Amino acid sequence: MTLALREWQAAFVADLAGGGGEARLAIHRHHIQRSLAKALAMTFPTVHALVGADFFRQIAGIFVTRELPTQPVLAEYGAQFADFLAAEEAMHGLPYLADVARLDWALNVAFYSPRPSAADLTGLSPEVLLSKVLTLAPGAELIRSRYPLDRIWTASQPGAAEGEVDLAKGPTCLLVLPAGFVRLDEGEAAFVASIAEGHTLEAAAVAGFTAESNFGLAGCFGRLLGCEAFAALQQ
Amino acid sequence: MTPTRIAIAAALASALTLPAVAQAQAQAQAQGRMPVEKCFGVSKAGQNDCQTDTSSCAGTSKKDNQPDAWIAVPKGTCQKIVGGVVKG
Repeated sequence: MTLALREWQAAFVADLAGGGGEARLAIHRHHIQRSLAKALAMTFPTVHALVGADFFRQIAGIFVTRELPTQPVLAEYGAQFADFLAAEEAMHGLPYLADVARLDWALNVAFYSPRPSAADLTGLSPEVLLSKVLTLAPGAELIRSRYPLDRIWTASQPGAAEGEVDLAKGPTCLLVLPAGFVRLDEGEAAFVASIAEGHTLEAAAVAGFTAESNFGLAGCFGRLLGCEAFAALQQ
Repeated sequence: MTPTRIAIAAALASALTLPAVAQAQAQAQAQGRMPVEKCFGVSKAGQNDCQTDTSSCAGTSKKDNQPDAWIAVPKGTCQKIVGGVVKG
């Protein structure tokens, strides 16, 4: 039987809506599910490692039925995955999983963000530095977790050493950058958060010392510069 | 106690003159840097090969479409995270 295009499309829509021809439509449905689950596994490698392939496929399959991609770049698919896990996690006893997904997602976003040249502060006088307002590199994100997120991440990498991670060793604050993530202590986190809010370096330094009296300003600022944490200065 | 303006200015300025070695160390400490260009999209993640690792074509779609039927339990590095309860 030969169908005209119009009739064929009408039949296809009817099938999608749950009409006949289920078996054939299931091929496409299955293909979409598996492809998107694979894309999620690549975007969330740490979550995948933590729960294993079978479980990941299952949670990804459920996520896919709720959140289909809204644009064609698969690397940008999964923005809501961490929130989805946060809502689902309780019944599986992995309360840290959503935070791990946030870290995976932030690394993904930072990696695909544009890379303008890093800020060059060479030659600025101390006085000018105090009033300088810096911008974090595109894609940079500060992630706070009540769990030892960096240790969980390390333990989940391929070839990681044996040994256990004690969940009580939190909280952590991580700064995710295109160059990777670094762990920050309380003072450092307050310093970076203040910069992210658009405050001057002096105000950010004060915020750092307020959060932690023995905040190591010079070392922290040097480390951030070394990691290219700041975008080029705007004139 | 918060240091003086002068002390803050001096600390900031000293960070600018860190030797290249210290800067390289800072970079090396960053974790999670992706070693190579991750390149996936329709052609890789969505290979139109139909066959999958567990079945052909529509083989498992019925199973995949039952959101409430949790058949798998987490079996990965989460076993190393103490304090996380894995329900079997």
